[in-house]
Amino acid sequence: MEKKQITEIIAAILVLLATVGVIGAALLYDEHLWGGLRTIELTAQAPERGNWNIQEIHLVRGEPVRIKIRNIDTVSHGFAIPELGISLNGTGEIKPGNVGVIEFTPEKTGDFLFTCTTWCSTQHMQMTGRIIISEK
Amino acid sequence: MKIDKLIIGIIILALLVGLPLILAQPEEPKEKTIIINAKQFSYTPDTVEVNRGDRVTIRLISTDVHHGLYIDGYEVSTDARPGQDGSLTFVANNTGKFVMRCSVTCGPFHPYMIGYLKVKPDYRLFGSIWLAVGIFICSILLVSRRQKQ
Amino acid sequence: MTEKILGLIPVDWRFELTSLPYVRKIIKSRWMPFLPIVLNLSVFTVILMAGFVGGVSAGNYNFGIMFVWIVWWLLLMMVMVPFFSRVWCMICPLPAFGEWLQRLGFMKVRNKLFGLNKKWPKALKNMWLVNFLFLGTTYTTGFLTTRPIATFILLMSIIIGSIVLMAVFEKRNFCKYIGCPVGGFLGLYSNIAVTEIRAKDPQICKDHKHKDCVIGNEKGHACPWMILPFDIGRNTYCGMCLECFKTCPYDNMAINLRPPATDLLVDKNRGLDEAWKAFIMLGIAIFFFLIMQGNMGFLKDWANATTTEGYLTFVALHSIFNLLLIPGVFFVFVYASRTLGNKEIPLKKLFTNFSYTLVPMGLIAWIAFSFGILFPNSSYVLHVISDPFAWGWDLFGTSHFPWTPFLTGVMPYFQIGTLLFGLVLSLDIGFKISKQTFQKRDQAVRGFIPIAAFLTVVTIFLIWLFTG
Repeated sequence: MEKKQITEIIAAILVLLATVGVIGAALLYDEHLWGGLRTIELTAQAPERGNWNIQEIHLVRGEPVRIKIRNIDTVSHGFAIPELGISLNGTGEIKPGNVGVIEFTPEKTGDFLFTCTTWCSTQHMQMTGRIIISEK
Repeated sequence: MKIDKLIIGIIILALLVGLPLILAQPEEPKEKTIIINAKQFSYTPDTVEVNRGDRVTIRLISTDVHHGLYIDGYEVSTDARPGQDGSLTFVANNTGKFVMRCSVTCGPFHPYMIGYLKVKPDYRLFGSIWLAVGIFICSILLVSRRQKQ
Repeated sequence: MTEKILGLIPVDWRFELTSLPYVRKIIKSRWMPFLPIVLNLSVFTVILMAGFVGGVSAGNYNFGIMFVWIVWWLLLMMVMVPFFSRVWCMICPLPAFGEWLQRLGFMKVRNKLFGLNKKWPKALKNMWLVNFLFLGTTYTTGFLTTRPIATFILLMSIIIGSIVLMAVFEKRNFCKYIGCPVGGFLGLYSNIAVTEIRAKDPQICKDHKHKDCVIGNEKGHACPWMILPFDIGRNTYCGMCLECFKTCPYDNMAINLRPPATDLLVDKNRGLDEAWKAFIMLGIAIFFFLIMQGNMGFLKDWANATTTEGYLTFVALHSIFNLLLIPGVFFVFVYASRTLGNKEIPLKKLFTNFSYTLVPMGLIAWIAFSFGILFPNSSYVLHVISDPFAWGWDLFGTSHFPWTPFLTGVMPYFQIGTLLFGLVLSLDIGFKISKQTFQKRDQAVRGFIPIAAFLTVVTIFLIWLFTG
């Protein structure tokens, strides 16, 4: 091959890397970061903007699970399952654009409420969902 | 040319005479409590005016979501949720205008949620206006002077 | 006697930055500016992706918003334009796809460009279109700077628009006259830059009849910005693509260091389009300040389109203020200048010439405005580089770095300092333009007074607005 063609191919590869490559690498990294454990991805938004993306979470007793709460809203949110004594560490707040992670193994079966813990809007009290834990 | 110089002389004199008037300490320091209502995306009142040396307490009340209040320069802050007021106290020793900005992401316009704290007398403002006028006068003098050569 | 900028540096002082052999070698390589563009493209891929996945979430925690409206904007206004002219255009990845399509390749030289290669209509070879494009873009500033998806839409429309329009119109007409909202002010404000690309020895160019830089050769393309590299005159339309370094058979091109604002003294190709660009830019700096750093809540509701009437009021006021009010006030001072100076000078000429004094004033206003973003808000950048897509990453361990304003106490002094420097520089340029326009020195002095008064009033207004 001519030298000019080789540089052209190298250039094309660089352009591909800068576009498709970056997107691919981001997706792969995310896959790698959150792989392994069963992960439930919750997105938090105030009730008037769409509320929790999942209103009902089904879990199995004894199976470890990770709940990843992505705050895609413009105000802070929180997350807790009061009856199971589960809440976020620290201030208990997830700032907008931030992610909160909770890992736990359900020990008892039943129907529980999960809720936002931060006064995020006038409809804050409606920002709830159900976690249903069943036997295997 | 003589009239020009006379005018410039009068301006400079006026500025110099004005200087102590504006720099004069207006009042004795006081205790001041100010209530600020925060609502997406503004504060009411949007401007707080105090005098130098005042001991200022700000009570922050939020009527919609979680808001904060951070004061530039003084680097103090507080936050408030509906039904849960915030408060901060400081002594207004630095004069000038300071931006009070929301410190808790409260919505799309959160970075633009801004109020002003004005601590009088504003030496900085007066001084810089004085400098700007000085630069103006100097430039006129400079260009006229070169003309004669 | 040659004129001196600020009484210090002679207008014709130059220092060639490309005199070092290896610097010249880099500049002449076809990898330059291809590599920086590709590197930049990868950053923009992240910006676009973050804008897309960010949707309408909080802009202050979004990589796209932060990198475009804080990192890029601040770099542009505070570093690139004043120091490196249109260097952004050199490395801008947005029109790259369109250009690669025209060239049907990334690195190779193709003198017959692909596409319809239409010429740009002569009547539109000015800044009017981009003036309105930029003004139009600022109507949506309340969304662009707060909603990630809005930034995504803006950037994508520039990319797609550039591919389509560059397939129709030849070379960089897209960047120059149609599609780039910021192209106009990059051009005008680059007149202040302390760097320039110029021919080294004009005599060599004069003797060289076959202008390779204009028509291209096997080493490089004909000037994509359709200027005459051997006679650039002003930085306005030089996109610094470096093709002329490659085409010149005599190695006669150079990047020079020079005193600031010298291009504003070039009495050629001045026009009302650029005058209005200067007005609009100054007005937008004031409006942006009111929206982003002002204390008027209602104005924010207007810009945020809480109500349609409010939004329309904002658009109307913003337009009238920029297109009519500022030029109107300026006109009064120009009229006074003519009355004092010489009534025989055409009013239009005076108005146009003196409007260039607003170029340093405007850029400095933007720099002062930018300090108001830099100190309070740049700490967000630490968060977004660690978690660009808000997917819970922590690449550099800074994703939990809290919002931390810094140096907010001394910020006003930075703003006042730059504004006063801006006043000195624009007064200096103002008197030089006055001498150029009035010819006679005593007329120039008298005609200069109202303009100097205007510049001082604007500076005082800005100091009061920003810090008082």
